Amino acid sequence: MFRKLITALPLAAALALPAVAQEFPDRALRIVHGFGAGGNADTVSRIMAEEMSKTLGQPVVVESRPGAGGTVASGYVSKEDPDGYTMQLMVGGHAVAAALYNSLPYESVDGFTFISTLGQFPFMVAARSGEYDSIGALIEAAKASPGSVKIGHSGVGSTQHLTGELLALRTGAEFLHIPYKGGAAASTALMGGEVDVVIDTGTVIRPQAEAGVYDILAITSGERWPDAPDVPTVSETVADGFDVVSWTGIGMPAGVPDDIADKIRGAVHDALAVPAVSDKIASLGAKPSPSSGEDMTALIEGQVAVWTDVIATAGIEKR
Amino acid sequence: MLDQFLLGLSVVMQPNVLMYAFFGVFLGQLIGVLPGVGAITAISLLLPVTFYLDATTSMILLAGIYYGSQYGGSIASILMNLPGTPSSVVTCLEGYPLAQNNRAGLALFVAAFSSFLGGMVGVSILVLAAIPMTVIALKFGAPEYAMLVILGLLAASMIGTGSQIRSFAMVILGIALGLVGADATTGYYRFVAMPELADGISLVSLAMGLFGVSEVIRNASRRPAANAKPLSVSMRDVIPTRAQARSLAFPIVRGSSIGSFFGALPGTGAAIASFMAYAMERRFSRSPEKFGTGHLPGLAAPESANNAASQTGFIPTLTLGVPGDAVMALIIGALILNGIIPGPRLMVDQPELFWGVIASFFVGNIILLLINIPLIKLWVLLLRIPYQKLYPMIVIMICVGVYSHRTSVTDVLLTLAFGILGYLMKNYRFEPAPVLLGFVLGPLLEDNFRRTMLLYGGDFTVFLTRPISAVLVAFSAFLIVFAIWSSVFDARITKRSTK
Repeated sequence: MFRKLITALPLAAALALPAVAQEFPDRALRIVHGFGAGGNADTVSRIMAEEMSKTLGQPVVVESRPGAGGTVASGYVSKEDPDGYTMQLMVGGHAVAAALYNSLPYESVDGFTFISTLGQFPFMVAARSGEYDSIGALIEAAKASPGSVKIGHSGVGSTQHLTGELLALRTGAEFLHIPYKGGAAASTALMGGEVDVVIDTGTVIRPQAEAGVYDILAITSGERWPDAPDVPTVSETVADGFDVVSWTGIGMPAGVPDDIADKIRGAVHDALAVPAVSDKIASLGAKPSPSSGEDMTALIEGQVAVWTDVIATAGIEKR
Repeated sequence: MLDQFLLGLSVVMQPNVLMYAFFGVFLGQLIGVLPGVGAITAISLLLPVTFYLDATTSMILLAGIYYGSQYGGSIASILMNLPGTPSSVVTCLEGYPLAQNNRAGLALFVAAFSSFLGGMVGVSILVLAAIPMTVIALKFGAPEYAMLVILGLLAASMIGTGSQIRSFAMVILGIALGLVGADATTGYYRFVAMPELADGISLVSLAMGLFGVSEVIRNASRRPAANAKPLSVSMRDVIPTRAQARSLAFPIVRGSSIGSFFGALPGTGAAIASFMAYAMERRFSRSPEKFGTGHLPGLAAPESANNAASQTGFIPTLTLGVPGDAVMALIIGALILNGIIPGPRLMVDQPELFWGVIASFFVGNIILLLINIPLIKLWVLLLRIPYQKLYPMIVIMICVGVYSHRTSVTDVLLTLAFGILGYLMKNYRFEPAPVLLGFVLGPLLEDNFRRTMLLYGGDFTVFLTRPISAVLVAFSAFLIVFAIWSSVFDARITKRSTK
């Protein structure tokens, strides 16, 4: 036993030495995310990994740990070593989960070191072309005959669903919310006439709008969106102060040393400054939005508060 | 139509595009052979590569991986009872008995050729009828899907080879397993013993466990000398006789039609298509007792169905820009990253891309047939590896494949548990295929039925007042009456003959 230890010691020292001597990072990094291979989160992770591996000089590997709306991955990441080698690609659902789940195996805000948001994107309220003149007309129709206007959404507890509930709360209109498995299925139902409205991201809505199949009635961001300046906001038309913007961002386990967090943040911001990267983020319907860790923390805290309120008021079953 | 198709062919025939088409289908083929590693894993890994390719080439490459994997999926099913993809589960039912009777070469040939014909039918429908098929698909709302699934469950209730009651019990077990996870209508967690189960049991775990792992356990408990018999791999044993070929014509036509139809409906896909094709074949067969023993029509029909479905699956993707499943969503994602908006205007705005991709399916299927036939001899040689060396490797490959799917150790453990369950089931003569069927169709039925109730305020008559739904109900009613009538009739005949 002792002899084994003696022989192992120099080996361990040899292994440990370069870690001390060399600068961070000296081995491969990971971006973990909580969604299926090929989803939006996966794509954004791969775009970032590709570019960040150039700046950091080490390979960046993407790891998909799907399950329970991303909470499996968040639980996993928050318990990893805060050594800077494990990153998580987070989405707006991180804030939703904090409000939706009775108990989570992690602290949604304190369990993480937030690095930077990557992209922010609004949702679009769409109907079949010619059905409603405006968002005002839609709300009027829903008020005139409560429960007759059907909103298709991408799943119970999705940000899309909660945005629809929030729209109902703030306008006093009553909708029938119909769950589908994903935005594409909801969009198909809108095309086929099964539902009247779909609230989803630009990637789902805009191709159909450009082909004249849908009208975009309104956008959910507080201000008009630079990418679609002609579309009125919900806030300026039917619900003053309405502001729903979802996001993607990078987080790490709580307790990452500041210098390492800054280095990662630098690499993230550098990547977002590369036109090829920001173009791709933009093509996915998002506005590239490098931020500080404090801004990202504040964004998440604000959204947790809003969604907690919506879930309680709309009577959505907590998990 | 022909002009446009020729335009597409001219795009594909450029040497570099052709090279990517070849690379795609070849890679897909290999991925399909590996148990548990699906097309989706391969495509997401290759996504960054497409950043450096133009949109048409990326799409040809990624699509090739997808339908190539449907070809590859049948190989491990036939040789080792190991469904490489969920849609090749049914291929095990007839393919594996054939391989055990020393007819692996023939089975592989029939599978490859049926796949090719099915794929070609699918492509032809894509070329000739993409728009009408889209119109029909959009007419399918929640009530129609619910009734279609009921019809499917009824039609497939004879899918097992044992008794009806046993097969029915296994469908129920499958439905029960499908209940695990978040309820799609309320979000309520059902039987979620650990967070990894919140999205339900993975289909890959269930299929790999019930088929692959259980077979390994079964073989481990046999004497190792069992496979010492010499294997024939001469081309004469591989090619079907004229009589065999003739018996396959109608199964392939039926399989391709069923596959083409299910493929075009978003959210159903190749796995259901192959189950339906197999069930139909048994229904219409004059010798249903031969099913499960290595009956060629039972192999040809589902093989042509899943390949037809994987081609017509591109209909909603290409005509509407709406992905029918996760793989299609990924392919659409690749287009978006290339700055192309996939939507109803794709066909008009990007004719080269639209028709180039379709023409690549045509070329890709020919390439797949050409690489599959010579490889048959090579694949059959796999069976010469002694069990004690082959099976540990298979178990490792299954574990790696399942793990790569969702990076989840829980999934791996579940796969092994389902392997033990599958072994016990086999010992007590319960078939695994109906479990898979119930597992796939059960949630689809529940989801669409409850959505119907939500949409129409709990009104049951909607199933009869909507025309397509009413027709499906009529078919189901006919099947029930037919089953009762034929069982009474059969009973009378047996009574008379015993007198």
